[in-house]
Amino acid sequence: MEQKETAFVALIKEHEGLLFKVSTIYTDHKMEQQDLFQEIVYQLWKSFDSFKNQSKISTWMYRVAMNTAIGQLKRKKRSPISESIEKVVLKQMESQDPVFEERLKLMYEHIGKLNVLEKGLILLLLEGKSYQEIAAISGLTTSNVGTRISRIKQKLKGQLNKK
Amino acid sequence: MELDELQTIWQNMSTELEQQKKLTNTLIMEMTQQKYKNKFSKLKTYETIGGVICFAAAIYLIFNFGKLDTWYLSLSGIFAIAFLVILPILTLGTLNSISGLKLQEKNYSETIISYQKQKKRLLIIQQAGIFCSFLFMLVSLPVASKILKDKDLFVDGQNLLWYIPIMTVFLLFFARWGYGCYKSITTSAENLLTELE
Repeated sequence: MEQKETAFVALIKEHEGLLFKVSTIYTDHKMEQQDLFQEIVYQLWKSFDSFKNQSKISTWMYRVAMNTAIGQLKRKKRSPISESIEKVVLKQMESQDPVFEERLKLMYEHIGKLNVLEKGLILLLLEGKSYQEIAAISGLTTSNVGTRISRIKQKLKGQLNKK
Repeated sequence: MELDELQTIWQNMSTELEQQKKLTNTLIMEMTQQKYKNKFSKLKTYETIGGVICFAAAIYLIFNFGKLDTWYLSLSGIFAIAFLVILPILTLGTLNSISGLKLQEKNYSETIISYQKQKKRLLIIQQAGIFCSFLFMLVSLPVASKILKDKDLFVDGQNLLWYIPIMTVFLLFFARWGYGCYKSITTSAENLLTELE
């Protein structure tokens, strides 16, 4: 394996969870999720040479992954045999705790109701990113990020209270 | 479930995912190669074949244009040629610009704006295409009949008597369907754009 391939493979393996989470949050079915995951890996490979360490590697990965997801939204595949996303999450995680599984399902249900911009922002927030880091990835100003996130929190709170 | 719980569940999920690395070196490189092949075959299937058929038909019409000996047949021929050339170029151009976006250079909100704008443009072209397709169907029969059988359907129009009502039903159906799709998708795109710009 070439040096470039070795470095790329190591990077993907290290951030496998990140790619899985991004591809899951933007899709509803197993086929879509797998396709998006592959597409993200492919786009990262394509732009691997142009990554010049100007930003943190995770910032670059989030950017490419989330931008790829937006592009993928327009060509959603509807397959009658496709499995719903909750099964994918549980299968990947091999979780044995039914309470946790139920909560995970609920969490994805709530996030699924947000629009594309909100999904991206909540993903980064849940990943523990600071407002500055979210601003760097999203291209919004830090104060704008703060305002939008507080709106998303309100929206989610409203959804959660309805339950 | 409280709001803070989302964060806890997410963190638990992240921890479990970290412990369950599934990808192998071979699988990762296979993914990139497989994707590359898929992209290539999709391009070949949808874009190239569609474009080639349209251009071949347009070239055939141009070479036989002399057979269209009345003003209305000539007008129908010009419309058919323009339709077969312009629509594929516009569609291919928009699709290419969508796929040509450099994902690593734009940030998240810029990418959303670019995609929403291009999506709107593509939808407008598709909507125009639906209406033009109907007109194309309407003129293609008389043009083909004149070129292939030397028969002017506008004069000897028995076939047009059933052809036009059927096409009108198709138009109503397509227009309703096309407008419905356009309206719902562009409204959501418009809302997001207004919020971002």
